[in-house]
Amino acid sequence: MSVAKTADPLIQSAARSLAQGDPLRTLKQLGLRQDPSALALRGIALAHLGDLSRARALLIRAATAFGSAHAVARARCEIAAAEVALALRDLTSVPCALEAAQRTLEQAGDRLNAAHARLVQARHLALLGQIQAATALVESIEPAGLSPALRAVRSLLRSGLAMRRLDAGAARHALAQAHEAAREAGLGALQREIDTADALLQAPAARRLAPAPAGPLRLDQIQDLLSSHACVVDGCRGWFRHPGGQIDLAQRPVLFLLLQVLAQAWPRAVTRHELGRRVFRARDMDESQRVRLRVEIGRLRARLRGIARITATGHGFVLHLERSPCVLVLAPPVDVPHPDVHALLSDGQPWPSSAIAQVLGLSQRSAQRALESLAAVGAARASGRGRARRWHAPPLPGFATCLLLPPAPSAD
Amino acid sequence: MNPPDADLLREYGPFPGVDQIHGVSYDGEHVWIATGNQLQALDPEDGRVIRALPVAAEAGTAFDGRFLYQIAGEVIRKIDPLTGSVHATLPVPPGERCSGMAWAEGRLWIGQHRGRCIHEVDPDTGAVLRTLNSDRYVTGVTWVEGELWHGTWEDDASELRQIDPVNGEVRQALRMPAGTMVSGLESDGADRLFCGGGRSGRLRAVRRPRR
Repeated sequence: MSVAKTADPLIQSAARSLAQGDPLRTLKQLGLRQDPSALALRGIALAHLGDLSRARALLIRAATAFGSAHAVARARCEIAAAEVALALRDLTSVPCALEAAQRTLEQAGDRLNAAHARLVQARHLALLGQIQAATALVESIEPAGLSPALRAVRSLLRSGLAMRRLDAGAARHALAQAHEAAREAGLGALQREIDTADALLQAPAARRLAPAPAGPLRLDQIQDLLSSHACVVDGCRGWFRHPGGQIDLAQRPVLFLLLQVLAQAWPRAVTRHELGRRVFRARDMDESQRVRLRVEIGRLRARLRGIARITATGHGFVLHLERSPCVLVLAPPVDVPHPDVHALLSDGQPWPSSAIAQVLGLSQRSAQRALESLAAVGAARASGRGRARRWHAPPLPGFATCLLLPPAPSAD
Repeated sequence: MNPPDADLLREYGPFPGVDQIHGVSYDGEHVWIATGNQLQALDPEDGRVIRALPVAAEAGTAFDGRFLYQIAGEVIRKIDPLTGSVHATLPVPPGERCSGMAWAEGRLWIGQHRGRCIHEVDPDTGAVLRTLNSDRYVTGVTWVEGELWHGTWEDDASELRQIDPVNGEVRQALRMPAGTMVSGLESDGADRLFCGGGRSGRLRAVRRPRR
């Protein structure tokens, strides 16, 4: 089966307008036609312009109109529609159609769009936090023979994944390649996306709480800390990093907070009273609270065995490091409740609560509660009703809140 | 190596009041020739001009199938192309000079800031319904394929060249008759290539070679 050669010169002219970054011209050329190719190209043009809901409706109409008789054209519409769904953060409808559509294009020899489909799949995995799987998929796409636009998208994706792996050097290198390819492609929106990624790399991705001086940290600084001999209490991901590896306390918020308070005071002790106040929000330490504290200390000791010790002093407890010279405490760059939810919203796209729940592995109710508490402090806003309800965060251009999101628990 | 001669099927024109053809396009039915102040639609079977649209600046015009919209300074004129009369006058969106306009999905789409900012406008009232900013690249699916033909004119000889749309290489070439020039070229998707004849004011149909 060969690629369907579109006989229509106006369709080809409109397709070239799109490829040259002039979607308004595409609309102008095809505004009066109702054939499936015209619907598809208008859908793509509207996606380029940012009218995502109309774009999706047109692409779905075009796919249906093409039907199985025009499998390649239909596959292209399905991939474009999946990409628009991804941009709308409608994550449930993405995966199924993509795999089949990608295979159709591969078999038909539509190499560029088949490669593009893989990039969309990789972007979907990245959004879900499956960084390893996304990376493997991107690396499997051969860059030779790709159009400049596709090379730019591939490099942009590689840089984003490198940032999530905390590899600032690889991220910078990929961004440089993305810039070069985007210049060749001459597409403004693509160049602007790359500029946004540049800013992300330079922005604070975490805050250092202890030891002094407290302050913002860029990705490359975090990377240096994590590869040093220091222990790091990583409040972004709920991990305790030590030179030999890490201890995941993300599912044990009480133990993590206990560790964080002890680490912030290190090498000094923390009184039982202070621990009760900060970890249990207890106003005073009665006997039941003291028992509770002993139990949690015991649990934490067990998790830290070989890496750190906790000893009792007259009035409290103190942390000792077995092999590291010091311990640092990191927190999310912005002080808001539910910083992981806030981090997702901060990519600037409107999110449905179901997508937040899916990406972070939360129940629908937990996601909803988190969003509402963010709204209460003015860090998130909802619009629309019912199925169309979406959440936004006011843009924080000076912060890279999403880089230290934990990877997805399952696949990685 | 000399390319083969183009097989001239038919010549159209000259057309009354037309001394130069600037561009050629094809909408599946009619050939549109850009003649300076007008876009004329020609039926390629009988050679008749069936419609003429007054077009001062091509970027600033749009057509909804019935009315022509034309940006003229601070206003958009809605013109009836059959009579030439102004049916309505709409305000231009406030702000910078408009860089382009299109009609689709029942709306006018007007670009500002060299296309970075697009207004969705009500074509009856001129009200700006929404403003879009494209700082995200959605989507990368491409429909470019098939054949791309260019006309060239060097040393008094014109050629029609077929270009690979992905890497720009010349796949084949045809030599036009001596003394002719090519100003605009469009395929009808089937057997014909329509070539604008520049200052001759003529349109030529050439047989498109099959590969």
